[in-house]
Amino acid sequence: MADYTNYTNKEMQAVTIAAQIKDGQIVIVGTGLPLIGASLAKRVFAPSCSLIVESGLMDCAPIEVPRSVGDCRFMAHCSTQWPNIRFVGFEINEWLHDNDRLIAFIGGAQIDAYGNVNSTSIGDYYKPKTRFTGSGGANGIATYSNTIIMMQHQKRRFMDKIDYVTSPGWIDGPGGREKKGLPGNRGPVMVVTDRGIMKFDEKTKRMYLAGYYPTSSPEDIIENTGFDIDVSRAVAMEAPSQEVIRVMREEIDPGHAFI
Amino acid sequence: MNNKVYALSDAIAKFVKSGDHVCFGGFTTNRKPYAAVSEILRQGQKDFIVEAGPAGGDWDMLIGEGRVKAYINCYTANSGVTNVSRRFRSAIEKGELLFEDYSQDVSMLMLHAASLGLPYLPVSLMLGSGLTDKWGISKEVRKTIEKLPDDKFVYVENPFNPGEKIVAVPVPRLDLAIIHAQKASPDGTVSIEGDEFHDIDIAVAAKRVIITCEELVSNEEIRKIPSLNSIPSFCVDAVVHAPYGAHPSQCYNYYDYDNAFLKVYDVASKTEEAFDAFVKEWAYDTGSHEAYLNKLGAMRLIKLKVVPGLGYSKDMSKEANK
Repeated sequence: MADYTNYTNKEMQAVTIAAQIKDGQIVIVGTGLPLIGASLAKRVFAPSCSLIVESGLMDCAPIEVPRSVGDCRFMAHCSTQWPNIRFVGFEINEWLHDNDRLIAFIGGAQIDAYGNVNSTSIGDYYKPKTRFTGSGGANGIATYSNTIIMMQHQKRRFMDKIDYVTSPGWIDGPGGREKKGLPGNRGPVMVVTDRGIMKFDEKTKRMYLAGYYPTSSPEDIIENTGFDIDVSRAVAMEAPSQEVIRVMREEIDPGHAFI
Repeated sequence: MNNKVYALSDAIAKFVKSGDHVCFGGFTTNRKPYAAVSEILRQGQKDFIVEAGPAGGDWDMLIGEGRVKAYINCYTANSGVTNVSRRFRSAIEKGELLFEDYSQDVSMLMLHAASLGLPYLPVSLMLGSGLTDKWGISKEVRKTIEKLPDDKFVYVENPFNPGEKIVAVPVPRLDLAIIHAQKASPDGTVSIEGDEFHDIDIAVAAKRVIITCEELVSNEEIRKIPSLNSIPSFCVDAVVHAPYGAHPSQCYNYYDYDNAFLKVYDVASKTEEAFDAFVKEWAYDTGSHEAYLNKLGAMRLIKLKVVPGLGYSKDMSKEANK
């Protein structure tokens, strides 16, 4: 029989995000780990959650893991094939109607202590050291939806000042979003990395360590974070159950596209 | 009714002009008009002002071949194969590409606004981000490019809610749209299956519209179920029968992406030399879409056909033996 006790940090990350999704939520997923996590949530943690993607495909239930948000693997197994503009309009109307159903996953290359994320370029914007894709749907999502940010936890990615803000977080602290004209009742909820979970202090809006994986520690997190981070509230997280690892490996991503 | 059927080379020669303000249909690795892209590469049109939308290898190849004058970006990658398209990335890192960034939502809304004929578009997006803090193309440079508006955007006050700062973005005036669709008829009626993406918007907004299609069906046939149709003949200038014309990207109900081919492109596009060899082999030296398909081979294309009910390709014989 296969061994489901030897999980990887990437699998732990997927299980961690899956556990954040609640029944009834509408989850804005991209591809990669967020999709694995959301698929796992739908099977195990929150069966009544729904998946939508920024291309406009609504209530998705892919069989094989899609590689793109416009993938036929989403398109053939969803309730409605909307164009992107309807997705944007729906997202904004959820905010206008004061609904609290949407939760979104975004990622990036750099993040600061207030959850502002860069997925555009490293270095000088006009002649960058490294250029990435650009915003995609991330900027609109970070504007109107609560977000869970997925990052690799490295010192060079967790920085005091990021090179470009693609997706606004809490800007510079309390009132920061309102000052910029962004909805103040939306923003990053947490950051899930390959080492643990960071949340944002209710008063200061600064990132703090909420939980760390069995393979990590508060010291490990401090060492790999490029800004001062409060670890006083951190709890040790439990290893995922063998059943959850089995579902993820055998049923959700048997082709190992992302795990 | 006019017969708008053209050979691919004739349609590109007649309707694609250097300096065009252009947008392609499709989404990263789905329904991208690759057959038309290869023909443009062969014919040499250049200096495009590009509304790239969710782009992938289509615009990456045209950037790599130096055909782009200004690139309006929101996302450029063959998702799931590469983190970022590599000729796009290299051109920006070397400072060789004039580019602008908008969010994908704003890009798509701008194209929708163009289809509605709006003078400009107010949005509450891109606030508090680099997308409003930084201009990829300065006002001075914009003034030298006739087809670009002088401003990336302008802050305005919401006239219905004084004190609310909003972002007014310009509406592109497209010369050309190229869209790959599942079916079209000789009169120019088009049926897109699956997600339309921004394709109907650009078909309405562009002065010239080229449709490449998997199947060329009769004018009578395509009218049988009007609810399946996406674009009326009036918006279309040329219809080109180009089976597998979106290869290596997907075409809903027809074929999957050719992931092995996309991986080959990903490796090739890492260096200028390998990229040059790739476009020489697959675009220039093939000479035509028909020769490109023959070079790929029948079995390769057959294996990409989607399994009915699944929507993607899969070896069902192996599945049954499980």
